[in-house]
Amino acid sequence: MRAVKALIFGGCSLLLAACASAPPSPEALAANDPYEQTNRQTLVFNGKIDHYVVIPSVAIYFFLVRDGGRRGVHNFLGNLSLPTIFVNDLLQGEVTRGSQSAARFLINSSLGLAGFFDPARKMGIPGHGEDFGQTMAVWGADEGPYLILPFLGPSNPRDAAGLVIDAAIDPTNFIPLKQHLWWSAGREYFTVLDLRGQNYQTIQGIQRSSVDYYGSLRSLYRQLRNSEIRNGRPAAVQDLPDF
Amino acid sequence: MGSKMTMKVILRQALLVLGLVFASAAIAARAQAATPAEAFVQDNIHVGLDILNNKALSTDTRRTQFASFLLSLTDMKRIADFTLGQYRRGASPADLAAFDAAFQNYAVAVYQSYFAKYAGQTLKVTNSQARTADDFIVATQLIDPNDHSGQAPLEVDFRVRTDAGKPVVTDFSVAGIWLALEERDQFTSFLGQNSANIKALIGHLNDLAKQYRNG
Repeated sequence: MRAVKALIFGGCSLLLAACASAPPSPEALAANDPYEQTNRQTLVFNGKIDHYVVIPSVAIYFFLVRDGGRRGVHNFLGNLSLPTIFVNDLLQGEVTRGSQSAARFLINSSLGLAGFFDPARKMGIPGHGEDFGQTMAVWGADEGPYLILPFLGPSNPRDAAGLVIDAAIDPTNFIPLKQHLWWSAGREYFTVLDLRGQNYQTIQGIQRSSVDYYGSLRSLYRQLRNSEIRNGRPAAVQDLPDF
Repeated sequence: MGSKMTMKVILRQALLVLGLVFASAAIAARAQAATPAEAFVQDNIHVGLDILNNKALSTDTRRTQFASFLLSLTDMKRIADFTLGQYRRGASPADLAAFDAAFQNYAVAVYQSYFAKYAGQTLKVTNSQARTADDFIVATQLIDPNDHSGQAPLEVDFRVRTDAGKPVVTDFSVAGIWLALEERDQFTSFLGQNSANIKALIGHLNDLAKQYRNG
């Protein structure tokens, strides 16, 4: 617990210290990234956490839990997030996708044994992600400047606020549990292991093949988020830059 | 005897009619590949995938064939200029020429690495949109015949220009991420951090191209 406090304190100190640093360059302003120097420092900090804490934990997880077990954990965590996805589907007016989320939750929670299996996919009901950051984007909220959050990575004020709202509307947080803190901590811990394990090769590929990892990550995050907000629909072609 | 002859004539006529029906259906299907940009993508991209899938070729031959195929299909100079963003204006002609060469070398290695991931898959053009009179976005899906996961096929879009005498590809996107756009963001970010030092960028590109080639 003391270590967690120290990490959070370190991250916040880093953020505050960097906010007080030199004014943004014209290039950073043009890229809608006025806190670029802070963000770069936070990326280095996150990289150290990743290298010394997350990757070793993922390695142990992969060593102890076989592929089938990890898939079960992945399915279980995905199933837990379905109520939040369902609410965001409806808030975005996506009735068909909302009904898919509801059906997936009902089927996987019952036939899929609390979500450890994914029979809904075999029935032709595909899964998808959704969050309140995307909902606000659909409602017309601007993303704001690019941010790298300590521990959490690439974001922006809209998506960061979305994370808080998602936690607030997550029905599993309303289940009265005596050990709620441990339940939440365990869930977050396994979410990190699952996510990092799934993206290990992709991130390594980006790191190895980038001229500027920070710039690459920023571009990929923004493009990916925009694609998610459109729910896979084609972008407005006029928004693409001239060649 | 007479009835046998009549049967033969009927059969021959039926076959002729069937042949005509199939031929016109094929022509109609071809006509449905509507715009020149769609036809260009449909006709050419699978050629690239075929080269990468051809295990009868040695690695070097496959690499050389793919490189010449890619260079005939893309407008590398235009892409290179785009990826330099605002730094192109202040660069010397010598730096620009050196960057163009380094970028071409790097891009061939990167594109080869991207498309090699989709070996064994087929490409289907789904539609296209005109951004301007000579700038098109052609949407395709990569179909993996061995994928039974129920996941939607991967969406790959190609940006095609038709103002250079023949159609050329200027960018492509995988699952909504445009590669040249990502390269521009990366290169300009690097140059912003390194006092617009294009020579340093060229050095990095050459190193990365080498790294891609060595797997």
